[in-house]
Amino acid sequence: MVLPLKKYPDESININAGPVRSFKDGFTQMKEDIIDTMKEHNLDSLSAVEIGYGYQLMVLKIEDNYKVFANPRVITQKESFISKEKTPYLFNREIEISRYQELSLVYDDENGDMQSFKIDNKELASNFLRTLDYLFNTTILDRLKPEYRDKVVASLAGKCEMPSFLDSTCPTNSKKDYFISVADKLLFFMFISLLLPLFGVSKETLGSWYSYDKFAFVAVWVLLVGFFIYAQYEAKKYKQCTSCQIGNQIGFVVKRGFANIVLFASAYSIIG
Amino acid sequence: MARLIVLGGGVSGHTTATFAKKWLGNDHEVVVVTPNANWNWIPSNIWVGVGQMKKEDVVFPLAPVYAKAGIDYRQALAVSIHPDGKDGSDKPYVTIKYTGQGKEGESEEVEYDYIVNATGPKLNFDATPGLGDGNGQMGPHTVSVCTADHAAHAHSELMNIFEKAKSGDRQKILVGTGHGMCTCQGAAFEYIFNIEHEAKKAGVRDNIDIKWISNESFLGDFGMGGLHMKVGGYVVSSKLFAESLYSERNVPWIIGAHVNKVEEGKVHYELLDGTMGEEEFDFAMLIPPFSGVGLKAYDKAGEDITSKVFNPAGFMKVDGDYNPKPYEEWKAADWPRTYQNPDYSNMFAAGIAFAPPHIISKPMKSVNGTPINPTPPRTGMPSGIIGKAVAHSVVDLIKHGDNAKLHEASMAEMGAACVASAGKGIFDGQAAAMTVYPVVPDFEKYPGTGRDTDYTFGEIGLAGHWIKHILHHLFIYKAKLKPGWTLIPE
Repeated sequence: MVLPLKKYPDESININAGPVRSFKDGFTQMKEDIIDTMKEHNLDSLSAVEIGYGYQLMVLKIEDNYKVFANPRVITQKESFISKEKTPYLFNREIEISRYQELSLVYDDENGDMQSFKIDNKELASNFLRTLDYLFNTTILDRLKPEYRDKVVASLAGKCEMPSFLDSTCPTNSKKDYFISVADKLLFFMFISLLLPLFGVSKETLGSWYSYDKFAFVAVWVLLVGFFIYAQYEAKKYKQCTSCQIGNQIGFVVKRGFANIVLFASAYSIIG
Repeated sequence: MARLIVLGGGVSGHTTATFAKKWLGNDHEVVVVTPNANWNWIPSNIWVGVGQMKKEDVVFPLAPVYAKAGIDYRQALAVSIHPDGKDGSDKPYVTIKYTGQGKEGESEEVEYDYIVNATGPKLNFDATPGLGDGNGQMGPHTVSVCTADHAAHAHSELMNIFEKAKSGDRQKILVGTGHGMCTCQGAAFEYIFNIEHEAKKAGVRDNIDIKWISNESFLGDFGMGGLHMKVGGYVVSSKLFAESLYSERNVPWIIGAHVNKVEEGKVHYELLDGTMGEEEFDFAMLIPPFSGVGLKAYDKAGEDITSKVFNPAGFMKVDGDYNPKPYEEWKAADWPRTYQNPDYSNMFAAGIAFAPPHIISKPMKSVNGTPINPTPPRTGMPSGIIGKAVAHSVVDLIKHGDNAKLHEASMAEMGAACVASAGKGIFDGQAAAMTVYPVVPDFEKYPGTGRDTDYTFGEIGLAGHWIKHILHHLFIYKAKLKPGWTLIPE
């Protein structure tokens, strides 16, 4: 039976797919539904998840055959390349992503017997890896670099053309870092102000620096609050990013907050 | 006066003995038999292994703690159980061989009314040629963090590697599992990222290649078939989570691997797809597989009944369903609830010592027929919870007689929390804090993954590290039976 394909932004694509444990009637029905849906939409690969089944089952069209992979695992992957690919979930918009050409897989066949399989073909490998991701609660969007993902999402919302940019890893420098960068600079100059009495600086100059310290004390807190709020937003947007989780954010805020209090208290007692 | 003997003084045995003694008071006797002089908070061994803690930070002597609690402590190895007694006596007993207390080598028969087997595992290094020394101990080619002594040794070897890297000699580190049937991937996971963290701090990361090798069929399996984690409000699979983490830290991986031979500077392995490979290393920490400690059992006539009491791997049979069945028929109900031996009602097992009915992850074999899949983790929180439930049961049996209702702690109805360190540091530390419910998937109750995603979530960050550090102090405080220890959960 042809089943409806899930389309962005349908979040039910994120259902948790469990292992296929039985290869009897329910399995056969699920497999046939996948193949029927592939034929209807002329697809080269499709996972059970994309049509609403929560099981680790996918089908790959190889030449004119529909090969069924239950509980597939990629054991080795080699030879990365940039793949331009489409998925029905994202309305078949073309997206660039880093993939591997040579794959060595294991999977359960339709009788539940474990088999191995090798792929050495860019198109087949791309199709396999993209479809496999759905079985592990991952869409192609989750593997994109945040800047690129932003553009893809904007394009899906009809705000721009589909961008051309690539990568598949987590951000190493996101916009929230600007908040921290400015806060660090303010804290640095607060520290410098503490050293001024050692150099016999005039009272007027010290007074000006103390005014700066008061301003910086407030500004750092504002920046930290801004950082925390923006970081929460980024964490929700880039869920594959392990460096933008709340533990890190709390850590950033606590460290700078503590330094801010210590520096201002020191400035108050030394300069103020 | 009844006598309870607890074999083992690790997380599970210590929990069982201390709670049983507290609840039984001085009316009954609790005896702990363990070959070790010290208690070890094993989760912190990884920090000893990178030099962030000393061995003394993760161990403490058991004798004064047991003396304070009124527990009879015998530093000895349990050799055999005689549940039917012997000629002329129906009283069951256990044979022990002392390893300390000035009685080294002496054997003794200790009678019991109830016995709890909580021996923990034997580190079965010899299961992989070259991983062991042929005499049951760790071999010369690799290191381990399974004990505090192993971890201290690992640290010393690691420092040699860092020194070589500092002098410009490029080094290669391999961390993971040393056999296709290992458990405890979590410890290896923690160790590799702590090494990576320390290498960065030491300024030698650019001169060290770090690689992961494991029997998991996908990265993030963790021996539990993977987790689904709530991160930043979204549900994420542990596969994506782990792949991101390894990629960010520039740690490539080999998965689905059964290490079948270790040589000086090289491991040989077989992958699930049947291919064979080799990996060279300058430093390798490979977790060994676990087995039972080799306890024997004899009936009244002296006939060997070990196979009746223990499974082939040496773990004690309890109230689980051990009938072989295909994966599709595995059920949560197969898992033990009371940990009582089916043949001897005064015999229990807790922690790693009980025989699991089957593995947790999907069973996998290479195309050559070699089993390659993680075995069920029964350490940490589940170990403590089971130990406490067993203590409850034994105490009720002693106080209320044989018809007392036994307490239950099925791993298929139990949640577990795990905090996996990815680097130690008060301001730059990181750890992944994860909870999973239930530990053993219940596919009938939670179709699909077998787990409740509302209670299965994780987070990585500095706060996780603080939690792990706090837990280190908290659990050592609890194990030392300091005031309020019973209020600290398992």
